[in-house]
This record gives sequence, structure tokens and C-alpha cells, in this order.
Amino acid sequence: MLNAKIPAGSLNDKWNDYKGHCKLVNPANKRKLEVIIVGTGLAGASAAASLGELGYKVKAFCFQDSARRAHSIAAQGGINAAKNYQNDGDSVFRLFYDTVKGGDYRAREANVHRLAEVSTNIIDQCVAQGVPFAREYGGLLSNRSFGGTQVQRTFYAAGQTGQQLLLGAYSALQRQVSLGNVEMFARHEMLDIVKIDGKARGIIARDLVTGKLERHFGHAVLLCTGGYGNVFYLSTNAMGSNVTAAWKAHRQGAYFGNPCFTQIHPTCIPVSGDHQSKLTLMSESLRNDGRIWVPKKKDDPRKPNEIPEEERDYYLERRYPAFGNLVPRDVASRAAKERCDAGYGVGSSKQAVYLDFSEAFSRYGHIEAGKRGIHNADANMLYKLGVEVVTEKYGNLFEMYAKITGEDPYVVPMRIYPAVHYTMGGLWVDYELQTSIPGLYALGEANFSDHGANRLGASALMQGLADGYFVIPYTLGNNLADDISTKAIPTTHPAFEAAEKAVQATIDTFLNIKGTKSVDHFHKKLGKIMWEKCGMARNEANLKEAIVEIQELRKEFWKDVRVPGTANEFNPELEKAGRVADFLELGELMCLDALNRRESCGGHFREESQTEDGEAKRDDENFSYVSAWEYKGDGQYELHKEALEFVECKPTQRNYK
Amino acid sequence: MKWSQFFGTSIGKKLLVGATGFFLCSFVLVHLAGNFQLLYNDNGEAFNAYAAFMGHNHLIQFIAWGLKLVILLHAGIALQLTFRNRAARPVRYAVNPGNQTSSWFSRQMAIMGSILLIFIIIHLKDFWYLFHYGEVPTVTYKGEEYKDLYQVVQVAFKELWIVIIYVIGMIALSFHLVHGFKSACQTFGLNHVKYNGLLNFIGVWIFGIAVPVGFAIIPLIIYFK
Amino acid sequence: MEHYNMNLNLKVWRQKNKNDKGGFENYQVPGISSEMSFLEMFDVLNERLINEGKEPIAFDHDCREGICGSCSMHINGRAHGPWAGTTTCQLHMRAFKDGDTITVEPWRAGSFPVIKDLTVDRSAFDRIIEAGGFISVNTGNAVDANAIPIDKDKADAAFAAAACIGCGACVAACKNASAMLFVSAKVSQLALLPQGHPEKESRALNMVAQMDKEGFGSCTNTGACEAECPKQISLTNIARLNREFIAAGAVSK
Repeated sequence: MLNAKIPAGSLNDKWNDYKGHCKLVNPANKRKLEVIIVGTGLAGASAAASLGELGYKVKAFCFQDSARRAHSIAAQGGINAAKNYQNDGDSVFRLFYDTVKGGDYRAREANVHRLAEVSTNIIDQCVAQGVPFAREYGGLLSNRSFGGTQVQRTFYAAGQTGQQLLLGAYSALQRQVSLGNVEMFARHEMLDIVKIDGKARGIIARDLVTGKLERHFGHAVLLCTGGYGNVFYLSTNAMGSNVTAAWKAHRQGAYFGNPCFTQIHPTCIPVSGDHQSKLTLMSESLRNDGRIWVPKKKDDPRKPNEIPEEERDYYLERRYPAFGNLVPRDVASRAAKERCDAGYGVGSSKQAVYLDFSEAFSRYGHIEAGKRGIHNADANMLYKLGVEVVTEKYGNLFEMYAKITGEDPYVVPMRIYPAVHYTMGGLWVDYELQTSIPGLYALGEANFSDHGANRLGASALMQGLADGYFVIPYTLGNNLADDISTKAIPTTHPAFEAAEKAVQATIDTFLNIKGTKSVDHFHKKLGKIMWEKCGMARNEANLKEAIVEIQELRKEFWKDVRVPGTANEFNPELEKAGRVADFLELGELMCLDALNRRESCGGHFREESQTEDGEAKRDDENFSYVSAWEYKGDGQYELHKEALEFVECKPTQRNYK
Repeated sequence: MKWSQFFGTSIGKKLLVGATGFFLCSFVLVHLAGNFQLLYNDNGEAFNAYAAFMGHNHLIQFIAWGLKLVILLHAGIALQLTFRNRAARPVRYAVNPGNQTSSWFSRQMAIMGSILLIFIIIHLKDFWYLFHYGEVPTVTYKGEEYKDLYQVVQVAFKELWIVIIYVIGMIALSFHLVHGFKSACQTFGLNHVKYNGLLNFIGVWIFGIAVPVGFAIIPLIIYFK
Repeated sequence: MEHYNMNLNLKVWRQKNKNDKGGFENYQVPGISSEMSFLEMFDVLNERLINEGKEPIAFDHDCREGICGSCSMHINGRAHGPWAGTTTCQLHMRAFKDGDTITVEPWRAGSFPVIKDLTVDRSAFDRIIEAGGFISVNTGNAVDANAIPIDKDKADAAFAAAACIGCGACVAACKNASAMLFVSAKVSQLALLPQGHPEKESRALNMVAQMDKEGFGSCTNTGACEAECPKQISLTNIARLNREFIAAGAVSK
């Protein structure tokens, strides 16, 4: 069993006790300690800024052309915090409880509690940085509610919360760059970890513009490199989002936690054809007012507006009368898949369901007419008034939908379908966010720690910033305090030399294969296998097939991939090749993990483990643990387990009926 | 930041262009008011008295020299900025958006300003230089002798090509001010939804149209009289 | 919406690296679906180029949902193409018709040197932010988030300015390659919020000084930046920057 180094004491006191007793590094010594941070999203930028402020010598890396473009920028809905500004009964405990329960009891209690504790500081910090959160007329912060909770604790900046939070962290980071505390390396990709005497002591990075390989020393290395949803090819992730940094760390000995836990978001714009390069999310908030339905008749050829009310199947309302359209993400996604698989899907691909606002238009229309004292409004007038209200609430989303699909969602119901959105799994870390390689840390989506088997809306931003602003400054110091006498190791050390050579060899191999198929060809094929066999529903036979197929695909990749251009230039195809090579290994591990976990929990649905009416069935007796996989050579993995103990939140079966 | 540094920045320089622009705007109003005396049917008495006053009053003389300095400053800094702006895009686009993203007037400030500068030089040579340093016939009103600038103007504007130059000059002035006045307001930060309509009206209708038309109509009337 | 396929003639700027002179190359691209995004059309073309053993076209892109600010194409003379308030990645081929010739150039500005093909270096923007686009508040220094109420109108205006994605379309669209809209958006956001007040003078002065140092042109108030901004950042921000700059210059030592 793995030891997560969770401090003793009651849940309420663990973090405070830890902070009170952890070792500190004095300012003069901090200046001598170098920290490498890979990734500049919410976790990376906030960590780089905070550690720079403390006086560490920080080097930050991102593959994008600027730290500001990390994919945290695309988060729409909001960020949770247990502020209880709404006086609706929120508290640290409630946020903690909701998160553990929402994660279907597969998260570590101590981490989640700490997350809930620091959530309030995050909002304070962001407001002080000038993040323009939405406000009420009185000038105070506004909140809205998100799925899986009964309180209003979500802070937001229109539909661009992630952008505003990231720009806040980015500005703090750039300030440290100008003060000389952080050195920024944009358009740099980390290609390997350098380990010396068992500790992470640096990285090999490629300057993506010149193609030159660089060696960078650090007393510690922080991976803040996000999730790996792009293993599915189509996801709501950015095109560049990748697993490479985490995977290289994994190959060097860092355990990979719960790789199969993937969040499929129910409301995305469906695939329109083979050319599709990515999927776009339509915010969860739409389910507050939109109703989801499919025709009652199979393969109904009629246009949505021609199908009368009684011939529509509002299947979420039918199956889950208590929660209706607001069931959690995993439940809503599976229900959509079930309908489409049964032949009731809509649109040209039949892989979509309707998200319909017509009732909202008329409901809001009536309210609005009442407010304005219009008593004889006709249907047209009511619709117009309703549209005004809906535009005010969701206008930017409707506009985005119209741009992408060419359809007017004010007239025709939106078509939506689930898509891969977030990965709860990631590098296994202990309470201090340290991976199983000493000196190597993982923050934000890159680690596995806080969301269990399903993440609640508006919690990803919270976790990224909690890790970077408020956790790592303490836990890193606690470990680096023992390292103050370690002098910076020159990068001529044989370990750096060997690591660089190996990276160079891989690059040369890519370029020398000179096969016949593009990197994307393999990526798409991998994505298809993953989506069909390790996607929303998984079963033993499919997973076993998938493993074989991925192994074959991997072999073919290394024989037949074509990477144009050279190593010593800006070469996006070469970058992609490296990333897809890693996805081709990760995919197999995900299937292996899914195969091992013979229970359904959160986003992981094993068809063998369901209740009579098709709901997910957890198996706490046998699977109340974190799977932490150790890399043992090509396609060889050893499973370690971290037992999950639930002291405050006793597991119960989730019920939304 | 010292003033010297302040006015060395791009915004500082634009403020100088804007401030001198505003001054020149106020000048054209005064100039136009004076010019309308050319249309009185008094054989030039009012105009020549006005010209004599303008030419001899020390304060006015001081302002007049200042005015020339302001014109040079306005043109000089604006040209400097223009060259800098061109240098900011060393490789040009093959396809340009034309009027899709900005008004034609706003993009022709340097061209119109240059035409205007040439016009001003011609104009000064024609009248101001002649008045002060050249041979001008005299006329006597109520026992006092005046330089008869009025007559000089009447003669000049009987020449078609001079009238054409003046009309072209005023078209340049119009196109320059349609954007120039509003632009200077924006440079000074005057942009507020409540007042933009008024500023726009002043910029387009007063300075962009009424003033240039007012100036241009004088040579035309004299020519066709 | 009716879907249709189209054959296009693409004229794309190719440039090996920043020292290369570069030039246009023509590509016939058949069978493009009206449902594709503009970048997906480039994916199709690149896939073909790779299969033909040629170098694919390099272009910046990442989130493909209009928020990261990576994509940066000058399409038929327009920054981010013909649709208003839209990034290149959100531009869809519905905007074009069969037989169209589309000219695609990189952002053109001395301060945005071309790295390769349509990819440019926009690090000048990062350096401008470094010069003052922040509030100096170390982690842990903050007071309670509701301690300072902020006028909703001002908070909304600050948000509208903060929506800038730093794509550089304003520079690309400006005939002077001026970065005033970008700089003004950040200065405005922080000047409108009480948290930003202590540093508002040094911020305005330093950011403008850095903008000049980077070699961007000056603003002639043509409004092209506002017209092309995918986030529709308003020119009122530039006016506010000017006011801030004048006020700061008047009192700074």
C-alpha cells in the first residue's frame, strides 16, 4: 500500500497543523534554490508567481507562445469557494463534502478538505489582482450555482472565468519575470526529466523555434501540465494539450494515478464530419434553462420544430424526475449515449440530442410581460421578450453555437452530444503534491488528487489555483529545507548528457522513419479506439480488444509515421509526433486501469457493474482505492494501491431519481 | 517622467499634434471670420482696415509668428510619427482591407496634411509675404492710407488656376479635419457616449464641411463676380 | 443551414524562418465543406502536403474556441478574416463560396517578426505586461474579496476591457501597427478597479514606454483595431489610456 503522508489529526486541523510544523527555508537560502515549473496554466502560473515572490529562483516553461495561452484560459463557468456570501448555508465542510460525494468517493479526504479550506483565499487573492468577477448592484461579488450542489458558491466572470483567473495569475507571473525572480521560457517543450541520485534535478527542453535541446537544472521540478483528454483525439482540450511531461515522468518512475478516470461533458457541440479537429463545450449552465429531448420515434426524419410536444421524449426528466435536466455530468452523458445507441439520435450523424430553449423563451416571456405590465401579449411578443432574457443570460454561448453550426439556436433547438472534457486521473501525488519521484511535484489537472472519479463543475479552477498559490509554497519549502546545502548541479553532469542524448535519439528516430502516414492519422485512429472502447461505457471484452489494437497501432506508428522537416527548426509536426507517441502508450494504460477497475464509479462506467435500471454501481468493498501504476518497461505496468479511508463522508450510492 | 521624456513618447508626441491641431482649428475660425470681410461691398475698406490691424498690432504679430511655429511643429511631429508608423510595418500586406475597417479620411491624414502644408506655403507667399515685404498698391479711406490687400485678392482670384489651387487646398482641409478634430479629441481622452455626438458634429459639420466651404466660396464668388 | 462543398484557390505566405525573404504560394484545395472551420481547412491542406512529401504550413493555434488568442491569420486583408468579433479558429468556411481565392498572410508588424510561414513572435506583448500590466500583490496579502465594493458599471467596464485575448489583431489591423488597443485594455481594466489605483500612474507611463520601445507605431485613431478585435474591445479604452497617461505625466517626477 502507498503512503500518502497524510498528517495526523482531525480533518479540520490537518492543514493548519502541517503549516504550523513544516520546515521553512530562510530568504537567503531561497535565493540559492532553483525551481523548474513546466506549464503556465492556473497551477503553473500561480506556483511560479508565488515561489518567485518567496525568493526562489524559478524557471517557467510553456509550449505556447506566451504563458497567457495555457488551456486554463478556456474554462467558462466559474470557480467554487466556500465564502458563504449568499448566506445559504455554505461552509468549508459543505464544499468538502460535495466534492468528495461528487467524485463518487474516490478522492482523498485530506486533500479535498485542504482544497475547501484554501478556496476562500483564492477569491481574495484574485480580486486583489484585479480579476473582474461579476458583481451585484451593491458592488459586492455575485454567485451562481453549478451542478451537484445546493448552494450558490460559484464566482464567475461572464463565460470567461478561466480566462480572467489565468490572466490574473499570468500578470503576477510577468511581474516576477520583470523583477528577475522568474525566467520565462515560452515556446519550449519539456521532453524529459533528469534524475540524479533518485531525485528529479532538471529537465531536457526543446526550444520549439530553433529546435535546440536545452538542459535546465532545478533543485525541484513542478509539473503543471494539465490533463490528457487529447488521447481521445477529439475533446474540448486545446490542440496542444498533451500528456508528454507527465508521461516522461511516469516512465522515469512517477506512478500514474487512476488513469481511466475521464470526464465526459454532456453538452458539447456534436461532431460535424471527419475533418473535425476539436469539440466545443456549451457551458453546463445551459442545463438550468434548456430541456433535453429526442423524438419518441426512431429515426424520425422530421425537423425538430415539426415534432409535436407529445412525440418528444424528455428522457432526463423521465428517468430522473428529482433532478431532471440537472443531473451530474456523468449521468447526463450516459443517458444521451443510451438514447443515441438505441437509435433515437438526431441530426445528420444521429449522434446528438436536442437542447431546447423554447419553453424557457415562453416562460421568461410571460415573466417579462408581467414585469412590464403587458397583459395582452401574443405568442410572438412573448417569444421576443423571452429571447431578450435568454440572450442576457447566455448570449455569448448562443452566438458561439451559431458560428460553429450555422444554425440559429433561437429558432432551432441546439444539438448537443457528450465529449471528453477533463481527466481526473494524473500523476499520483502525496499530500505534499510530490510524486513518487522525490523532488518531482505535480499540480492542478496533471495530478490525480482531488476530484475522485468525477469532477464537479467549477472545481478545476479552484484546484489549480489552490495547488499553486496556497499549497506548494508550504510543501515545497518543507522538502527543500533539506536541500539547502545542495549546490546547483552543472548541466554537464552525465545524467543530463544521457537524458539529452536519449531525447535526441527519439527525435532522430521520428524523422528517420519516413513512413507514409501523418501523425494525425495515428492520433485519429487512437482516438477512435479510445472513444469506442474506453469512453462513456466500458466492458471487459472491449477493453481487452482495445489494448491489442493500441499495441498494434503503436507498432505501426513507429514503422510508418511520416514526420516532415528537420529537427533544427520550428516543426509542429515533430512536436505532435512526440505527443502522439506518448498518447499511444498512455491509451493502453488507461484501458488497463479501466479493465482492472471492475466497478462503475463517477465517469468510469463498467457495463458489468450497473443496477437493474442501468445506473452506475460502485463496489466499495473491492475498489475503494487509488490505482497507482508503475511503469516497468514497454507495455508493462505494476499496480500499487493507496487505500481510501472515509472518516467524514461515509460513502453512499448516489441517487438522482 | 520629465516633460522632455513625456513629449518624447508616442502619446506625448500625439498630444503635441493634437494640441497644435486644436490651436489651428481655432485659428481657421478666426481667419474665416476675417475673410468674410472680402465679401462686403465697401471697396475693401473693412477688410483692409482689418488687415492693417492684424499686421501692426504687436500681440497679433506675436501670435502670427507663433502660428507659423505651430504649423511647423504640427507638421513636423506628425510627419515624424508618420515615418515611424510606416517603419513599424516593414513588410506590407499584399491585401489591404480598404474601407472595411476604417474610414478613408482617417487613413489620409498625412497626405491631406502634406497637401495642406504646400497650400499654406503658397498661400503665405501669395498674400502674407506680399503684404509685408512686397509691393502692394495703397488706398486711402477717410484720409488714412492703407495697403490695398483687398485689391490684391480681387486680382488674384480672377485667375482660374489660383482659384483651383485654393479649392484643392480647402478640399484637403476638409478631408483633414473630418477626421482630425475627432482624432485630437480622442488623443486628449475626450470620448464619452454623452458627448461623442456633439464632438462628431463639430468635427464633421463645422470643421470638416462648413469651414472649408466658407473659405472656398470666397475665391469662387470673386472669380464669378 | 444548407451544407455545401467548395473548391478554393489558396494563396498562402510561406517563409522558412525569420531571415528568409518569403513569398506566396498557391494551392488548389478541393472539396472543402462549409461546415469546417478555417483552421480545419488548413488541417486538410496540411495533411495533403504531408502525404505529398511537402512541408506543411506552420500556423499558431491552440484552443480553437476563440479564447486563447493563439491563432493569427490575415485573411483577404482582414485580421481573423471577414466575420466581425471572431477569431480565425471560429471563422467557418460558410463565409466563403466555391471558386473563391483566399489570400492568407501572417500578422505584419516589425514588432511581430515572422517565425515561420504564418507564425509570428508576439513576445513583445508579454514584455509590455511585464512593464506594468499587473497589480503588485503577493500571494497571501489580500483582504477579503468583499471588503471593497466596486461600482457594478465600473466592474463591467473593467471586465469588457479584460476580455482582451492578446492575439495581436489590433496591431495587425492597424495601418500603423500600433498596439494602443492592447495596452489600453490592460491599463483600463486596472485603472477602473480600486485595487489598481496605487500603481495607476507608473503603470500607464511604463507600459507606454515599453510599447514604444518595442517599435509599435502610434495611434492615428482610425478605429481599425476596434473593428477587427475578436473580443470587440472598445476605442474608449484608448481614450482612457490617454487620460491616464496625461494625468500620470503631469504629476510624475
